Amino acid sequence: MALLDLKVNGQEVRVEAPDTALLLDVLRERLFLTGAKRGCETSHCGCCTVRVDGMAVHGCVVLAARCQGKAITTVEGCGDGMELDRLQRLFLEHGAVQCGYCGPGMLMAAKALLERNPQPTLDEVKKGLDGNLCRCTGYTPIFDAILAYSRGE
Amino acid sequence: MECKLIRPADLDQALAAREEYTDDGLPIAGGQSLLVMMRNRLVSPGALIDLEPVEALRGIEVQSTGISIGAMNTCRQLIASPVLREEVGVLPAAARQVSSTAVRNLGTIGGNVCHNEPGADLPPVLLALNGQAVLRRRTHGREVPLDAFFTGYFETALEPDEILCRIDIEHPPANAAGVYLKHAISPEDLAIVGIAVVVVPDAQRPGAVAEARIGIGGAAPVPLRATRTEAALKGAVLDEKTARAAGEMASTEVDPGSDPHASAGYRRRMVTVFVRRALMQAAGRIEENGHGAA
Repeated sequence: MALLDLKVNGQEVRVEAPDTALLLDVLRERLFLTGAKRGCETSHCGCCTVRVDGMAVHGCVVLAARCQGKAITTVEGCGDGMELDRLQRLFLEHGAVQCGYCGPGMLMAAKALLERNPQPTLDEVKKGLDGNLCRCTGYTPIFDAILAYSRGE
Repeated sequence: MECKLIRPADLDQALAAREEYTDDGLPIAGGQSLLVMMRNRLVSPGALIDLEPVEALRGIEVQSTGISIGAMNTCRQLIASPVLREEVGVLPAAARQVSSTAVRNLGTIGGNVCHNEPGADLPPVLLALNGQAVLRRRTHGREVPLDAFFTGYFETALEPDEILCRIDIEHPPANAAGVYLKHAISPEDLAIVGIAVVVVPDAQRPGAVAEARIGIGGAAPVPLRATRTEAALKGAVLDEKTARAAGEMASTEVDPGSDPHASAGYRRRMVTVFVRRALMQAAGRIEENGHGAA
């Protein structure tokens, strides 16, 4: 076991976890941040997407120990807990969420994309979300919400 | 049994750990394949040796003979590298086609090469760039040309006490054209076939080939060079007919297997098609510019 010093959504936390614990397991099982979802666990579906130092990563294939000293952001870090942030609101308005399981990962991947490229084309949005699967919406409402965000809506 | 995580401070410590854990230790680079294999219980190492802190495995250095790429460069870093874009655009272009954004953010060139998964995007390109694997063990180092490094299905020449430190590639001639074509059902998949060509035009004879190198992934247990096809192209004028014949010949140099994504016969057929297309794209680039900018 190891003691890990992590910074999650701006807060410093110390957790005990196995040496090679995965970030997703630490977030969900030790810190009870269940926004990042457990899906395929083989880095295909993207519903465990979180951000580490701004980059979108799949939490199921990241060693938690490697995230020490880096800024981890999960969907719980969006908004203030009471109010949704602008991108979350646009996801809601565009019907970008149906069953909702992919939502937290989609939001984190979208935020990483928009930070890197504030005015993405539709193709760039698609490429930016290429690590995230959605089986409900057909993606179009998700792309619409992200493009609306980039237009300042 | 719990797996230990060893975080060496430098290459010497990493190599010492590699020697100490020869039996059941594995080095971890980006972890994008290894952690999946561990989850699926395909490997159960007793210790992971984390290469992330090892500075000697980073950086992209331009040398007189070529470019030396640290094994821990992520696909994201390959894509963003001005040096690679300028000198060997085909490599960042292939890195852009590896899996998904999240995987490219962490997955490394060294991990991609050592995992040696059929259909991986970087090996065919690195073969066509005459890549060399720079390996170290605690006591000494060695260099292995990549066509000898890939030894079998998910197997390489890396010994259990060695670490892949860098991949060295040659400077392609300034007038060379490099193309990588990936054939996959979905772009995030592994390639059904991945074809890399580097064509060096003959400066004296317009349209003629001074040298062609063809790297093929997904169409055999290992990524390989189509050496007979390369020999046949030397000196030939690269037109549609030549490219078609080269595609046919290359399809006799591969040894594809069948899996749920594609049958062996289909893969072989796609080698024919994509070698032709890649050669024609390279020829088009050379004709357009007078050179190809590999």
